[in-house]
Amino acid sequence: MDISQIQKLVEDDGIVFIGYGGFLSQALISAMTEALEKEAEINDIGMGVSSSIFTVFIELSQNMMNYSKSILKDCRDIFPGGLIVVSRDSSGSSYYIHSQNIISIEDKEKIEPKLKEIKSLDRDGIKAKYKELRRSGKNTHGKGGGIGFYEIAKRCDSIEYDFKEINSDKLYFHIKTTIKLTKKGEE
Amino acid sequence: MENLVIEETKYTPKISLDKNGIVSMVGKSYPENTFEFYEPVMEWIREYFKSENKKFTLNMEITYFNSSSSKLFFDLFDLIEEHNSEDIEVNWIYDEENESALEAGEDFQDDFEGLKINLVKK
Repeated sequence: MDISQIQKLVEDDGIVFIGYGGFLSQALISAMTEALEKEAEINDIGMGVSSSIFTVFIELSQNMMNYSKSILKDCRDIFPGGLIVVSRDSSGSSYYIHSQNIISIEDKEKIEPKLKEIKSLDRDGIKAKYKELRRSGKNTHGKGGGIGFYEIAKRCDSIEYDFKEINSDKLYFHIKTTIKLTKKGEE
Repeated sequence: MENLVIEETKYTPKISLDKNGIVSMVGKSYPENTFEFYEPVMEWIREYFKSENKKFTLNMEITYFNSSSSKLFFDLFDLIEEHNSEDIEVNWIYDEENESALEAGEDFQDDFEGLKINLVKK
């Protein structure tokens, strides 16, 4: 392995960190969140924006963790690892959080309508839907209560996604979120 | 009723439940199994409302939280609202610079109009 290539990638793309490989665990997510807190502190990012960065990061990683666990539990033939990348643009005005993992066609059919709906809504629409789902999901003890994507959408400035086919029953599911910074003192 | 204290971790807040009816939560909240984690807290509060004591104050100072915690807090406010009276209040404490935390508090105010939720600047 040529580590200089990774170094170049990190520098060119302003990557804050990459988590890759086996399973995302709660301990790993929490350690990466701590690293992001440090990043926010060093770069003097305001509390409102930084808490949005942490929330989106946590939401995307816990999604992948929960999905991996369900794959393992049900012994499904899907690679349970995922990729999570946090980067910032060269002008330092936006942060990007990407997540990618492998999902089944059936799961794509569950996820895609939600994401399509989110893309069609404006900020107030997303907030209204979030509150409606949070209210109607009363006493449902699902992991995220079905509001995870809405939480992400509420916290970021834009959300993009794509599905890349691997074979007839699996595909890569990639989400890219953008969070714009409002630096302290510029508000 | 006994007092109950749950110490803070990297992803869960410090929670103190005082038998005089003061409950406080301070920190972050993104546990892996949110509902399991908070069940002892919900149970303690359910029991409290069965007691003679009527006064109840919840102080929430959560800097950021995941979506299942958001759902859990909703259920918690719902439980409190079921026992609503003038002796009951919630203080949603936020840092002035954290507009996301303020917005979350405002959303809870909208959802629980009958409940006294005070937005308290730290």
